[in-house]
Amino acid sequence: MSRLLVVDDEANIRLLYAEELKDEGYEVVTAASSAEASEKLQGCTFDLAILDIKLKNESGIELLQRLVKERHDMPVILCSAFSCYKDDFSAWLADGYVVKSGDLTELKQEIARVLAKKALKARG
Amino acid sequence: MDRECCWYRDVIEQADCPNISEGEEELLILKHQRLTEKCCDCPVFIESLARLHDSANPLATILSEVLSENCRQKNQIQSLVSFLDSKTLEIRFLHELGSILQSSVDLDEVLSVALTAITAGKGFGMNRAFLLLCDREEGVLKGYIGIGPRNMEEASQVWDEIIQNDMDLQTLAQNFRLNKLSSERAKFQDVLEQLTIPLTDKNHIVIKALDGKRPIMVEGAYQRTDVPSELSRLLGVETFLLLPLVSRNRCIGIIIADNCITHRSITEEDMRSLETFGFPVAFAIERASLYDKLHVELNRVTEAGRKLKEQQELIVRMENMALVGRITSSIAHSVRNPLMVIGGFARSMLKNSPVSDPKRSFIESIVAETRQLEGVLDEILNYSDSLYPTRDFWDVNQLIEGALRDTADIMKSLGYATGYTPGHAMLPVYIDFKQLSYCLRTVLQNDINGTGSDRSIAISSQSGENCVILRIEDHSRHTSQIELDHLLIPFSESRDLGTGLGLALCKTMLEKQGIPFVAQAGLIEGILYTITLPTCKEEQP
Repeated sequence: MSRLLVVDDEANIRLLYAEELKDEGYEVVTAASSAEASEKLQGCTFDLAILDIKLKNESGIELLQRLVKERHDMPVILCSAFSCYKDDFSAWLADGYVVKSGDLTELKQEIARVLAKKALKARG
Repeated sequence: MDRECCWYRDVIEQADCPNISEGEEELLILKHQRLTEKCCDCPVFIESLARLHDSANPLATILSEVLSENCRQKNQIQSLVSFLDSKTLEIRFLHELGSILQSSVDLDEVLSVALTAITAGKGFGMNRAFLLLCDREEGVLKGYIGIGPRNMEEASQVWDEIIQNDMDLQTLAQNFRLNKLSSERAKFQDVLEQLTIPLTDKNHIVIKALDGKRPIMVEGAYQRTDVPSELSRLLGVETFLLLPLVSRNRCIGIIIADNCITHRSITEEDMRSLETFGFPVAFAIERASLYDKLHVELNRVTEAGRKLKEQQELIVRMENMALVGRITSSIAHSVRNPLMVIGGFARSMLKNSPVSDPKRSFIESIVAETRQLEGVLDEILNYSDSLYPTRDFWDVNQLIEGALRDTADIMKSLGYATGYTPGHAMLPVYIDFKQLSYCLRTVLQNDINGTGSDRSIAISSQSGENCVILRIEDHSRHTSQIELDHLLIPFSESRDLGTGLGLALCKTMLEKQGIPFVAQAGLIEGILYTITLPTCKEEQP
């Protein structure tokens, strides 16, 4: 079972992601801020992180940059209400980009794609 | 003295004096004036005086001397009068010239007047003149214009013409400016090109005249060591005058004048007259040049003012855009997140509710409405993005292939086949890549229902004049031109919001970039979209 870290400052969104992704068979851990995400990452491994861009204190992009350095083997999907970040170079560090929607199909497809790619890479 | 002579009479008859001509009748009764003006030269009087000498009259010697002195003084006065007349004419000419020069700030007009004055018979009557102007930036004295005939035949023709027309200086100059300025420039182009002298060449006779700020009469040019042989050969004359043009103690150029046709000698008097003439000419040339520069600067300042105004307007627009951006950003966060939660949980509930659940239809409604609201939100955000395009040069193939790649999955799932035929040697296009990409994706995925059996979309590109033309042939979707035109107007779509803004948004975005977007129904089987992308910035509005 793949372990996913969901970072979003909106409690309802974290709940929605957790419910929907658990239904899809993932183990989901949520965090409300980048600080909480860092705590949860301590000593734990995650197969994938889903980050909101607009977070309190540290932005999702900054957290992404940190994760790329510290957890380069953990893929990251950015999930934002803003489509404009798709054209931001700094967002290109992420493995996937999804615009927030009540229909989580695109997000689920993106998670599956990124995890499959990671698995393929692990197999060499 | 001979008493037969008339000199002692108070009044004489016309026939008595051979020296009184028509118009001088008053002298017949004015004895004193007649005596001093006419009798001294009269042969009858001289004869009478000789007889007086013969008679050994002692007064005869004294009288002869007095008469001789009188004659000398008369001649001197005559000469002075003649000199004064010529000076009066010269002053009148210079006055006329000054008046014309003072009233003009047009460099060509000033030059026309100046050069005409030097060469016209009513002016200084020189055969030919060249004007050289100082170019301080390049550090040279450069031939600017020449005037005069190149040979005797041309000279005769021009001078005959001037005599026949009997024009004054101003008319001559105007005539020259209108009809001959360009042709004279062209005629002496070869000479003018060779009349470029570095200002640092202090040994050159022309630069010497310029630096000395005094005219130099060059005689025996071929023999003089201080005259470069190439200058003598170029002018083809032994004698010429160098007249520096000095304004406010600054040398602005020099005039080289000669009599290459008549070979009339240039007198010291000519030189002095021309020197006097040089001051107003130099001043007028400098003033006209400064006026030209002022005009250029004024245009530059006006242009800068216009650009500043544009920039101010742009800043105001950008401030407005920033405000729009902040508002839309706020909407994105404030509306999209709750919408996502509502829609997401509604979907979740729908997924887990049995088909027989009576509340299922309510949940389905929530899902549908939130989906529609998300669509509206997307289009509003895209519209706000379209308000301020960011253009640059992009590769057309990259643009189209990117749009096809982005839409490949959805197009395939809908059963559409897409293809692209690139044109040859296409220049980069000046566009907002993001907006164009959005437009292409929208055109490919637009929600006009596909009804044709041929579910294919063919894209092709070809180079045009300063543009690349994209043709998108959608063979599957069918509609009338009227409905299609209606779809291209923002917010006029009669269907619910969020389902019909796409094409109108494309048209708005493209129009803001000055890119024509044409959608035609009926030309082909389906809809033909034509997008003309500029390949240069100038084509932008």
